[in-house]
Amino acid sequence: MNRFAWVTPSTIEEAVGALEPGALVKAGGIDLMDLLKEGLIAPQRLVNLRAVEGLDRIEEKDEGLHVGPLVTLARLAANPIVQGRYRALADAAGHAATPQIRNVATVGGNLLQRPRCWYFRSEAFVCKKKGGGRCYAHGGENAYHAIMNNKTCAAVHPSATATALLALGAKLRIAGPTDAREVPLETFFVAPEVDVMRENALGAGEIITEIVIPYPPSEAGSAYLKQGEKESFDWPLAEVAVLLERDGNRCKRAIIVLGAAGPVPVRARTAEAALADKVIDDATARAAAKAAVQGATPLEQNAYKVTIFEAIVRRTILAARGNTA
Amino acid sequence: MADENGKVAVQTGLVFPGGSSLSEVERAVPSDEPPPWPLNAELSVVGKPFPRLDGPLKVTGAATYTADVRLPGMLHARVIRSPHPHARVKNIDVTAAERHPAARAVHVLEHMRGGAKLRDPKQETPSKFPIVRYVGQPIAAIAAATPADAEEVMRLVKVDYEVLPFVVDLEEARKPDAPRVFPGATEQPATAGGGGAVPNVPQQGNVRGPTKTGPLGPPRGDVEKGFEEAEITVENTFRTAVQTHSALETHGVVADWKPEVLTVYASTQGTSTVRDELAEVFGLPKGKIRVVTEFMGGGFGSKFGIGNFGVLAVHLSKKASAPVRLMLDRKEEHVNGGNRPSSVQRLRVGAKKDGSLTAIHLTSWGTGGTATGAGAGNVAKNMYACPNILIEESDVFTNAGPAAAFRAPGHPQGAFALEQVIDELAEKLGMDPLALRDKIDIDEDLGGRNVDSAARRMERKIGSQKFDWARRKPAGSDRGPVKRGLGVAQSIWYRFIDLDASCEVRLLRDGTVEVLSAVQDIGTGIRTALAQVVAEELGLQPKDITVRVGDTAFPAGVPSGGSRTTGSITPAARNAAHEVRRRFLADVAASMGARPEALSLKGGKVLLGDDGGRGIPFRSAAAKLKTEQITASRSRAHDYGGFAPGRPGMNMGIGGFGGVQFAEVTVDTETGIIKVERVVAVHDCGRPINPLALESQINGGILQGISYALYENRVLDRRAGVQLNPNFEQYKVLGAREVPAIEVLLLEEYQGRSSTDAGGIGEPATVPTAAALANAVYNATGVRMTELPMTPARVLTALAAARKGAQ
Amino acid sequence: MSNDGQNHADRRSLREKDDDEDGSDVALPGASLRLSRRRFLAGTGLTAATTAVLEACKPAAVGGAGGKGAEVAGPGQVPVTLQVNGKERTVSLEPRATLAEVLRTDLGMTGTKVVCDRGACSACTVWLDGTPVCSCMTFAMDAVGRAITTVEGLSSGGALHPVQQAFVEHDAAQCGFCTPGMVMSCAALLQRNPRPTLDDVRTATSGNLCRCGTYPKVFEATLAAARRGSGGSSGAKGS
Repeated sequence: MNRFAWVTPSTIEEAVGALEPGALVKAGGIDLMDLLKEGLIAPQRLVNLRAVEGLDRIEEKDEGLHVGPLVTLARLAANPIVQGRYRALADAAGHAATPQIRNVATVGGNLLQRPRCWYFRSEAFVCKKKGGGRCYAHGGENAYHAIMNNKTCAAVHPSATATALLALGAKLRIAGPTDAREVPLETFFVAPEVDVMRENALGAGEIITEIVIPYPPSEAGSAYLKQGEKESFDWPLAEVAVLLERDGNRCKRAIIVLGAAGPVPVRARTAEAALADKVIDDATARAAAKAAVQGATPLEQNAYKVTIFEAIVRRTILAARGNTA
Repeated sequence: MADENGKVAVQTGLVFPGGSSLSEVERAVPSDEPPPWPLNAELSVVGKPFPRLDGPLKVTGAATYTADVRLPGMLHARVIRSPHPHARVKNIDVTAAERHPAARAVHVLEHMRGGAKLRDPKQETPSKFPIVRYVGQPIAAIAAATPADAEEVMRLVKVDYEVLPFVVDLEEARKPDAPRVFPGATEQPATAGGGGAVPNVPQQGNVRGPTKTGPLGPPRGDVEKGFEEAEITVENTFRTAVQTHSALETHGVVADWKPEVLTVYASTQGTSTVRDELAEVFGLPKGKIRVVTEFMGGGFGSKFGIGNFGVLAVHLSKKASAPVRLMLDRKEEHVNGGNRPSSVQRLRVGAKKDGSLTAIHLTSWGTGGTATGAGAGNVAKNMYACPNILIEESDVFTNAGPAAAFRAPGHPQGAFALEQVIDELAEKLGMDPLALRDKIDIDEDLGGRNVDSAARRMERKIGSQKFDWARRKPAGSDRGPVKRGLGVAQSIWYRFIDLDASCEVRLLRDGTVEVLSAVQDIGTGIRTALAQVVAEELGLQPKDITVRVGDTAFPAGVPSGGSRTTGSITPAARNAAHEVRRRFLADVAASMGARPEALSLKGGKVLLGDDGGRGIPFRSAAAKLKTEQITASRSRAHDYGGFAPGRPGMNMGIGGFGGVQFAEVTVDTETGIIKVERVVAVHDCGRPINPLALESQINGGILQGISYALYENRVLDRRAGVQLNPNFEQYKVLGAREVPAIEVLLLEEYQGRSSTDAGGIGEPATVPTAAALANAVYNATGVRMTELPMTPARVLTALAAARKGAQ
Repeated sequence: MSNDGQNHADRRSLREKDDDEDGSDVALPGASLRLSRRRFLAGTGLTAATTAVLEACKPAAVGGAGGKGAEVAGPGQVPVTLQVNGKERTVSLEPRATLAEVLRTDLGMTGTKVVCDRGACSACTVWLDGTPVCSCMTFAMDAVGRAITTVEGLSSGGALHPVQQAFVEHDAAQCGFCTPGMVMSCAALLQRNPRPTLDDVRTATSGNLCRCGTYPKVFEATLAAARRGSGGSSGAKGS
């Protein structure tokens, strides 16, 4: 780990001001620590957001649920409001990493953490994400890699909360050197074809200041399911978040998001369309699940993930039905 | 005196939950050893569950492991390692490193320890430095004042490599035109730290072997004839992955070179083996070396030698004239700390319609990287009675870190293959798997001394009752997507006895009792077992005994490998305690004007005859000692009663350990997830000393077995030779949520082999687990898993193939 | 670190030539090793909650530069006061120091173990303001002003914490290297949930790796401690 200075701003303005070139923002610091220890980053200064007022609130008001970027995954998972109307988010936060990590890792950091691809994380491979010319997962060890949109880079997006927040229609408030801006999460993530060196559209010197999740419509329910090889600390082979808006037995609108499927979270729009106006039962959930994985382009070692996704999409749809208020 | 054997009557046989089968035999016992104890039921301390004595130190963090040793002026070392899987080191430039203000010493490794060596070194172009044969191979090391300084200095060492072609994949390495890991035939000489392969084995390219063996050495009978006689033949190919030991405390030492004595604090399973190897490497008399292992954070077979890291640390300490701490980091530990080799096993078994076996033929390959030791044939060789057995085992060298002994080397692999084939055979014969095993798991060669067969017979019986085996349904009969299955598999392990096992017992005038031995407690609880043995002999409680172990300043201790510690060292402790007892009673008797034979030690008192238990408190009696202390140091004789090692040059006694495990699993056929719900494990290990610690160790064997069966896999990139998962994130080890309900049943198995008749459990407990799981998965799904780990990917692939086959 | 710019090249990272975009061949290690440090770091700038293009290898500004009033410490040694097990401990540390390093090396409190060093095994668990965290993934700077409780501080006045006592009685330690972390996880569980179920204990320890496989006894011990009523405020100074 290189030496760096430790900057402690007390306001967002100070934090933004401290983000000179060579500086990185630190929230929970978990992914940052990991990257530092692996020698994958060498910042000159860390700008620690922990002393900035008001970044760790969870409030339901105005437009819906307002979550500060410094809210830890543990708090998110344990919050009764989140567990109620925003169930997918609570379950996503509650199943990430380990209890110890969840006590420190923040939702902002979780959204922005870098992929866990073992080629990316190994200093021995300078892949495209690190400025090299190749994705080493292609033709390499790719059992845990992307099954969709994997032509340029086959890393999967690592964020569990992104999967859930996308299904819940969240948007981000962002502060930076210029005006504050608001970005729907839907357009926040950056496909490798656009820029393989990054996973999102956060600009230089910008900081997420708030995550806003709209109130779910009445008769709506959400669910999140994760399937790892292990239930104890493990990354997902497949994770799915579903928001179901119902009209009696019928599905009025569904949002289905697949995590750990592609380099950025994947909206399964064909599956959403397949559910629309249908009675939600095992058969329609099954058909939607099939639609969700249609067009998957698995690599040599990960076709099994397609099968698992199909099962988990179906189960998550049915779980969301069960969670409907 | 020791040669004069007195005959004593001993009860032998089994005591099990709910019954016993015992008979009385006469044993000749050396006159300087006490006769074997009666059954545990008649003892007051041995055989009773006792919390380990060092528990309070462990739960408070006060236990000092090698990683925790802090000496004044201690430096921190880092190792420079090769990023290349195969290379010739052209030059090493240490000038910049040496110039760094925080650098205190630099040492370039002259010789590689561990792994195979060229039989004829001339077959390789001479090189000033050891040839690099795997990524992570140590090149040099540096020492600096702080860990951060050490990291900086390490990066200043410049190494020029000439990169050579390499191969890391087993199948690729077997090809005739594969890059050669070694350019000629190899040998793997044993060192004081262990290892050692059968010499003069043929080698073609990277394939060293086959060695051809049978149960008692050479192949038995004629397998071709045996298959001709067979009425049913079962054949399958099985594959297992490389598993790393992943001990939580990494390999490491704190080396403190002083002109008068070299002290090495080592995380090791063998204080004596480390001392002996240091003597070998540094040409020091053993008396000038002291090795200390107060607490040790797991080894599982990988921690016997001094290792290249240890040699480097000692050199650095010598150069810097300061203590040097060198602990591997997690990545180094995965890459360099040893591993269980992979295997590919082609197993063919022939049988008559009544189940009796006519032929067993196993051909196996495996890779232990740059080391030998990939044999997987011992289970097929030794478990079942069969007149024709041929085991052909080959090591395949690859450019990967060297293997090391790992908890029952070769056995979990071998059991995974054999126990599945035996189940397949049972199915073809229309027999229950347990009934077939009753038929073929018999004492064939040893005239009643093959006690593991007898133990397993009882273990099958009581285990199947506890597990309710009768509810087992035909394979694949569950209808829903989540299918339940039951399976069973058996263990075999051997009775290794080390005569280099000594203890000193001291009784001081204030009543203090000390036990001293160089033997190390690697987490098995030998400290507590020794206290129990001595306490039993002296009529005390374990807490009354001070146990000091893990220091070569004490009498020679046995290295903790092969499940031999308890069997080897507890007789020595009892023998020493018995001598102290004799002299103590002689002193006390004199002071009481009684005859020593009239005195006994019980309940913390010295009792005179049948005085109704009044007696004199132990402490008061000790105060009557003529001298400040009574001390006796003893080792032990070979096992009695014909159980002594049957093969020259080996410490392997006759009659091994059994063990039978039953597993209940569910298989989610939509996700391929296997969940282990329950394991019933029935084991034997001679006379149990501390059932509480035994249960813990059996739990551990099972859980490591489940982890091996379902999750663990060292992944190397074939194009770079780099391990992709040298961590605990992607190298997956079972965690709390994967722990099934475990029920342990223990047999007490008495043979009157030694003064304690005790044995070990570490290895037997992990041998059958993966096999039992695989048999249960078959029972759930009707599909056989032939490859470990049984990941969702493999389960789903196997299920899909079976569906396709059925259409 | 001043020589950082050379490190990756020294470590011979495997990469292809920049112009090799067709993917037809894989460069062997050593074939093409120069890593564009600048380009590489630029790609990692998205960490945590911002992006920032890095100027690699420039010595970091010490104090003052930029930040509009934000406090700047380091990169050299900074004196800080940590509250460890109820006692104030002043140490001089670099901002990059982890809490685990400071506890073990600077303060000589080696009860806390470092095993994976990446937050994947929880062996290094300590409490910050009563909450279990991985000290190997915590900057010591982040622990300033918070109550740090280590395994050494769990017992009070020579008496074991009820969870420690139960661990001893139920043989919930084999080699013992995971034990301090395991104890800290289980004691924290009882602190916030005095009546846990077996499932709660499994969840609380789902990040704690034990290679000896002592989990069944850990579960047993923790449930036994709970039955005996160890929750609430017992033990643990400074939390």
